Amino acid sequence: MAIVTKRVSPTRWFAYFIVAAGSIIMLAPFWFMFVFATHTNTEILSVPPPVWFGDAFVGNLNLLLDKLPFFWKNLGWSFYIAIAVTVLNLFFCSLAGYAFAMYHFKYKERLFAVIMATVMLPSFVGMIPTALVMSWLGWMNQPKALIIPSACGAFGIFMMRQYISSAIPRELTEAARIDGCSEFGIYWRVVLPLITPALGTLGLVTFIGSWNNFAGPLIVIRDMEMFTVPLALRALQGTGQVPWGAISAGSAIAVLPLLVIFVISSRRLIAGLTSGAIKG
Amino acid sequence: MGVMIKRRVIAAAVVAGLCGSVANAATTVTVAAFPALDAAVKAAIPRYKKLHPDVEIKLVSLAYADHHVAMTTSLATGANLPDVMAVEVGFIGKFAESGGLEDLGKPPYNAWQYKDKFARFTVPQATGPNGSLAAIPVDIGPGTLLYRKDLMDKAGVTEADLTKSWESYIESGKKLKAATGAYLIASAADIKDIYIRSGLKDGEGVYFDKAGKSVVDSPRFVKAFELAKAAHTAGVDGKISAWSNEWAEGFKRGQIATQMMGAWLAGHLQNWLAPNTKGAWRAAQLPAGAFASWGGSFYAIPTKAAHKPEAWEFIKFLTLNKEMQIEAFRKLDAFPALIEAQNDPFIDQPIEFLGGQKARQLWKVAAEKIPAIDVDKYDSIAQEIVNAELEKVLEQNKDIPKALADAKALIERRARRR
Amino acid sequence: MEAPMSTSRSGAAAPAKSRRRLQPWEWAPYVFISPFFILFLCFGLFPLLFSVWLSFHSWDAATGLGGMVWVGIENYEFVLGDEWFHKSLFNTFWLAVASGLPQHLVAIPLAFFAHTYLAKYRNTVVGIYFLPFITSSVAIALVFNSLFSRDFGIVNLALTSIGNFEVAGIHPLAWLFPTSNIDWGQPQYTKPMIAFVVFWRYVGWNTVLYLSALQTIPNDLYEAATIDGASRRQQFWYITLPLLKPMMFLAVTMTIIGNLQLFEEPFIITGGTGGLDQAGKTAAMHMYNTAFVDSDFGTASAVAWVLFMLIALLTVVNNKVFSQKD
Repeated sequence: MAIVTKRVSPTRWFAYFIVAAGSIIMLAPFWFMFVFATHTNTEILSVPPPVWFGDAFVGNLNLLLDKLPFFWKNLGWSFYIAIAVTVLNLFFCSLAGYAFAMYHFKYKERLFAVIMATVMLPSFVGMIPTALVMSWLGWMNQPKALIIPSACGAFGIFMMRQYISSAIPRELTEAARIDGCSEFGIYWRVVLPLITPALGTLGLVTFIGSWNNFAGPLIVIRDMEMFTVPLALRALQGTGQVPWGAISAGSAIAVLPLLVIFVISSRRLIAGLTSGAIKG
Repeated sequence: MGVMIKRRVIAAAVVAGLCGSVANAATTVTVAAFPALDAAVKAAIPRYKKLHPDVEIKLVSLAYADHHVAMTTSLATGANLPDVMAVEVGFIGKFAESGGLEDLGKPPYNAWQYKDKFARFTVPQATGPNGSLAAIPVDIGPGTLLYRKDLMDKAGVTEADLTKSWESYIESGKKLKAATGAYLIASAADIKDIYIRSGLKDGEGVYFDKAGKSVVDSPRFVKAFELAKAAHTAGVDGKISAWSNEWAEGFKRGQIATQMMGAWLAGHLQNWLAPNTKGAWRAAQLPAGAFASWGGSFYAIPTKAAHKPEAWEFIKFLTLNKEMQIEAFRKLDAFPALIEAQNDPFIDQPIEFLGGQKARQLWKVAAEKIPAIDVDKYDSIAQEIVNAELEKVLEQNKDIPKALADAKALIERRARRR
Repeated sequence: MEAPMSTSRSGAAAPAKSRRRLQPWEWAPYVFISPFFILFLCFGLFPLLFSVWLSFHSWDAATGLGGMVWVGIENYEFVLGDEWFHKSLFNTFWLAVASGLPQHLVAIPLAFFAHTYLAKYRNTVVGIYFLPFITSSVAIALVFNSLFSRDFGIVNLALTSIGNFEVAGIHPLAWLFPTSNIDWGQPQYTKPMIAFVVFWRYVGWNTVLYLSALQTIPNDLYEAATIDGASRRQQFWYITLPLLKPMMFLAVTMTIIGNLQLFEEPFIITGGTGGLDQAGKTAAMHMYNTAFVDSDFGTASAVAWVLFMLIALLTVVNNKVFSQKD
């Protein structure tokens, strides 16, 4: 994609500079999180805070594991839940998005409006009734209480509809239909391979959302062994002595999977770019 | 949907039945708490297991605010309720009024018999409006004035200067500022907070009278605001809020010379806020003969808890067992609500961080004198509103009577459903 | 690549088969969108109806379900006339604009720049800008408290050293930058600080959205334009921007909805209180505090529904604005 130009204009140099300076601001808190993970509380709460690594990481980790004996298990649950939610969302949202983008059916606009309306209601009022539903179902303290209700998010559908309608020419799906492809086959064999960049983005954001979800586990999970990572880390914070070093160490460990996921999904973005079919 | 729920209910009942039969072998008592109270529970588990090998204790700990949100949700829905619920003093008024907690004063608990075993101001806090006893106190936070002896010496200020009266306290701050540059107090609001609590008699509320009318325009509040403003005008306050990084740093650098708070603050200063200032601090009673408490925790049993008898046994162990209370006192700086535990020799030990002062004796005296203030479920709202108005008085020079009148109107508006 | 939604081709393409039987493409879309609605009926509808019902009651949740008392529209009357709610709404809109607008004004050029000029390092750069989005909120709170500390913070140190920058006895920048430490806790600074954090956290997310949209723009369009002698800037204005419109609609809608429900950042930065003079208290925070601090769940539900109406209204307006430009 890069256009080869011999001479780089001053304007562009200026742009490079701005982008680089912005990068530093963006990176700073990340940097601090890793740095804090290696310092004691007293050092962290000093102002200015430490900017380079200290030697307290092992101590922080031990403190973390002492206070949260199930931390690794918590990490496992977070993984399990986030992966399940992500996979289900990618499938259901792209399917629904495909239907909204490529089909014409009765009440389409109205149904879509209903979906959009559901995301506009601020979520906290839903906490108590959701807890009621979960206890009626007997799902309290179970991961499925966090997975199933969020298996198909409205944002995902919105995003997929938007992407599919702009990225996939209708001729393509019609050609597939004429070739005898089933409706689901069109989605599975024609549409899905073409929307990988959007799937990457949606997957990433769904995973992050589930990984960082706090209010959901707070009301549903009551067993420290079943806690997700945010809940576990928050459990360390009381009034007074908060083990910030241990929390930073925990956050740093918890954010590593997200980094890996991000690297992987940015590869997907490239893959989407190079697959020729999009350029229809 | 209806059928689905029905089937679920049956399934749940079957599962519950199965669990019930298993439970006979070993009952699991769930305890919900928050830091640092959870550490006391954790410490109690192995000891308790020795006495009751047939009971498993499961601890669920959440951050202070999260814990109370989760408990509110559980009380609302009746689901996921723990057997033993820790409640902080800030929520005890609300929870005691809710009716979702067992009345521990009635049989089979009959807890009124233990009333005199606890610091006298605690039990009334846990008493609901209809005379029910909703919870048992476990720890308390007698208020104290911690001050930097070295800085005061430098400024020629004595302890008596600090505690004689509020005027002399603020006056000392001016001397201190001139001599050392340090702030007397982190936030001027602290003065207000203590003044509005001083001079109260048993059964009186801070913000509301017996009839539930707001009293924030009373002379007590006017004077409190005036004192805070005087301190602010004199420039002896650091405008630093508690628990901020700036606060910790201010202690470390010796820029905050006094702090009025619960006695447990000494432990925090020693452990992490300012370990470098060891030996420089001393404790005194609050200025002008005031006595107040900071924080304090209780244990309650939800009405819908699954294992009430076992829960009650464990609560008695946590609150009435002298050994347990002393251990929490020694290891976690949790000042015991149990008077018997306050009489432990530990109370007479010198505290190195406070220059060898036997400060716990002082705090014990304070614990006896703190009035049994009536808590109200609208206290937290009233507090928020009063703080906001004080801020306007301090920063925008708002007229004090006007500020308090506004506060009163706002409080009555929000407490409209009393 | 004309607007794909405008025609009803799938109907036209249907071969002339018998009308009696439903064709797969007639019922398939309903099956495809059904998961959302099934889940919604099971898990979403009840909480929704419950909160409507609740908004007509007085209820302290700790009393259990039996404690609800019908009060009619009193909660709505209270909310609509409530000074605190008005203030929180003002804060919410202020923050929505001050943090939302710059997000897009930066994200679009940034995505274009990364897409066009940063061949090899594109993913790295976009990745860096995306990092704040995945950082844990705990770390954010800690770091920002420390950076914005009044007496010892790095931000104040940087600002005042620019403000006090001296050349030949004069301070050329003193009119623009502060010369003494700023107390970031004061009400007039609370909102800008929160707006900055929100911008910082979401600009990368929008950049990724726009980048993924840029990738759907066929390369030959640019090639043709280059042959026709169009400059980069012209290509940006006449090719990129118009083709980005669907994604802009998505991203702006998400920003509007997200910003009007803004909760986490102000909650963390102000320690849950909204800051001095409630300067950083958003409507969502007001709702949360009404419910869980004041234990007034009926009023909180009324706040939620009033807020919902406003968000819905704005979304409709946004919809109109984007469809008008066609």
